[in-house]
Amino acid sequence: MMKSTRLLALVPVLALGLAGCGGSTGTPGSTGGSGTAASGDCSSAEVFCIGLVTDMGKVDDKSFNQSAWEGVEAAKKAISGSQTKYVETTDTKDYAANMKKFTDAKYDAIVTVGFALGDTTAKAAKENPSVKFIGVDQDHAQAALPNLTGLVFPEDQAGYAAGYLAGKLTKTNKLGQVLGLQIPPVEKFAKGFEAGAKASNPAAAVTTVYHPAGDNGFTDPAWGAAEAQKQIDQKADVIFGAGGKTGNGALAQIAKASGAGTSIYCIGVDTDQWNTVPEAQKCLVTSAMKLITEGTTDLLKQAKDGSMKGGNFTGKAGLAPYHDFDAKIPADVKAAVEKVVTDLKSGTLQTGVKLG
Amino acid sequence: MPEVPADGPATTRRPADPTRGGGPLAAVARFQSILIPVLALAVAFGIGAILIRAQGVNPTYAYTSLFQAAWFSSDGILRTLQKATPLILTGLAVAIPLRVGLFNIGAQGQLILGGLASAWVGYRFLDLPGIVLVPFAIAMGMAVGAFWSWIAGVLKAQRNVHEVISTIMLNSIAAGLVDYFIAGPFKEPGQILPRTPEIAEQAMLPDLGIVPVGFPLAVALAALVAWVFARTTLGFRFTTVGENPSAAGYAGMKLGRTITLAMLIAGALAGLGGAIETLGVTHRYESGFNAGLGFDGITIALLARGNPLGTIPAALLVGTLRAGASNLQFETGIQPEVVDMLLAITLLLVSIPILTKLLFRKSAQEPVSSPVSAPATGGLA
Repeated sequence: MMKSTRLLALVPVLALGLAGCGGSTGTPGSTGGSGTAASGDCSSAEVFCIGLVTDMGKVDDKSFNQSAWEGVEAAKKAISGSQTKYVETTDTKDYAANMKKFTDAKYDAIVTVGFALGDTTAKAAKENPSVKFIGVDQDHAQAALPNLTGLVFPEDQAGYAAGYLAGKLTKTNKLGQVLGLQIPPVEKFAKGFEAGAKASNPAAAVTTVYHPAGDNGFTDPAWGAAEAQKQIDQKADVIFGAGGKTGNGALAQIAKASGAGTSIYCIGVDTDQWNTVPEAQKCLVTSAMKLITEGTTDLLKQAKDGSMKGGNFTGKAGLAPYHDFDAKIPADVKAAVEKVVTDLKSGTLQTGVKLG
Repeated sequence: MPEVPADGPATTRRPADPTRGGGPLAAVARFQSILIPVLALAVAFGIGAILIRAQGVNPTYAYTSLFQAAWFSSDGILRTLQKATPLILTGLAVAIPLRVGLFNIGAQGQLILGGLASAWVGYRFLDLPGIVLVPFAIAMGMAVGAFWSWIAGVLKAQRNVHEVISTIMLNSIAAGLVDYFIAGPFKEPGQILPRTPEIAEQAMLPDLGIVPVGFPLAVALAALVAWVFARTTLGFRFTTVGENPSAAGYAGMKLGRTITLAMLIAGALAGLGGAIETLGVTHRYESGFNAGLGFDGITIALLARGNPLGTIPAALLVGTLRAGASNLQFETGIQPEVVDMLLAITLLLVSIPILTKLLFRKSAQEPVSSPVSAPATGGLA
């Protein structure tokens, strides 16, 4: 009697415990399956098979996984006779096993998403020299494998364009940045932002804060919100929130400020955060994006026609659409920003950002 | 389920003993504790089949691809057993305190600290030979895990702090500590990801063909715990304290010490689970490793209905589902989370004996004569 009562009582406790663990399993996403049900033979030369392994999370996560998967799908349309499939990782220990699924099935190209899969991807590429590996947001400059390419991004360019826009928008000549951990990609965003702001508005001053601690640099929305509020109090009127959930916390806080969207603006990062952080829509003029989808598609096309080289491939960076702010931003500002983005892409404009 | 008719007659014989004593009732309960999870599992897979069919996939094919990936290749078996190993240990870490009437929600914290401690030993003492380093790292993991659960045990024994509250809080503290160490003092130099350096090669636990070394160890420990529960005075003390603390106290058993000891053993086992993960599977401690293994221990203990030996098949089941899930998605496009759903349904049915009984009244109790079924029912409700 006692024992079973105890077991019964465990049920709510279990729920409580699991709630406390902060979502160890991915949220059950949409019920869609992988891209293709009909399967050709991946070992045949006519069929070009593309596999994708996500980082923890789903292909509809509105972030890196989704962008990369959209790139794979675009490549499928572009490459005739190709087929695609993804496996969603639910345990970080399964990275290798999930990649092996595709190599065992003789897939021609495998896309792995996220910095955390870097080591495992390099290992798999070494073991499967005939398979092309594309590591999104992974640095494979040192790997020296002809079948492994890291897709990296000129974060400084995206930051520069965002900073350029911010410099034009500010009335107080005070800009702010609330950032995640001070690691190379974040630093490149930040320095680019500073350079862009200086270029468009020499009088503008930029206040920059990085998250101080190493443990939750990208998952500390409360800190992000507090820092954003501080910058608002110091009269900053355009603030760049870059650093995962930490940055998102800053964006959400700015959206709550009085004057948000009329005199105070915020700028998001990585993907179009209009979609990913809807609570920030009130202030979100644009986002400094890494064009993961485009880069993934380009690399897959290269993998198909055999022109893919080892090492790193630098994708493109850009700004997200202005959405509701499209009408509020003066046409000349838009045109100037547009020109900066094009010039950065073509290389006629340099950000001048160098990491020490 | 072929087991049902085979085991059926056993119940009719057992209740011949008086049902008033603990023994026969426990025997019936033991039989029920096999039957109910098996039937619950069957129902869960049935419901799963309907949902899989609704997505346009043949359920037989889906389940086949899941089990094939988990058991039909040496790779798959290794992975299944690797996944089952820490679950047996965290299952025990929940089942043991359950025996003395405590819910150890803290296996997660105990496991991650144990895993971190053994990683530290593994990469810090590179010069030690494997024969010293491996036991040292394991001992360290167990000691740290035990220390962490001991805190909750002492708080309960001395101050009557509810162990559910204290262990949940200790989980958060453990997670914070681990994050601090892998991003701070224990961080691999020059690495952006927060993680420790790789452990020394001689510290890595080998795989015996398709069996990871930790698995037989975990199975042996489950058997040992079962033996201690059934055959030793310590086990008797645990059971008595759990069933009736005041009677146990009246009989001169030291309640506080028993509670603390049970928690201590639980933490050591959870810490061992973490150590085996580090030394045998991940070879370093990295942010995001071991997510949920301790919480899965609660699932395991529930599925096993608190029986130490039951943690073995329960962990194998969960290990099978987890190891096969990605192949399920690869072959059919069905979301890997479907296995969590199967587990959740199973758990729901197992943990609500009343509901289970309603559902299975006929199949479970028809062979049993009616005067017998009454006490058995009472014991479960």
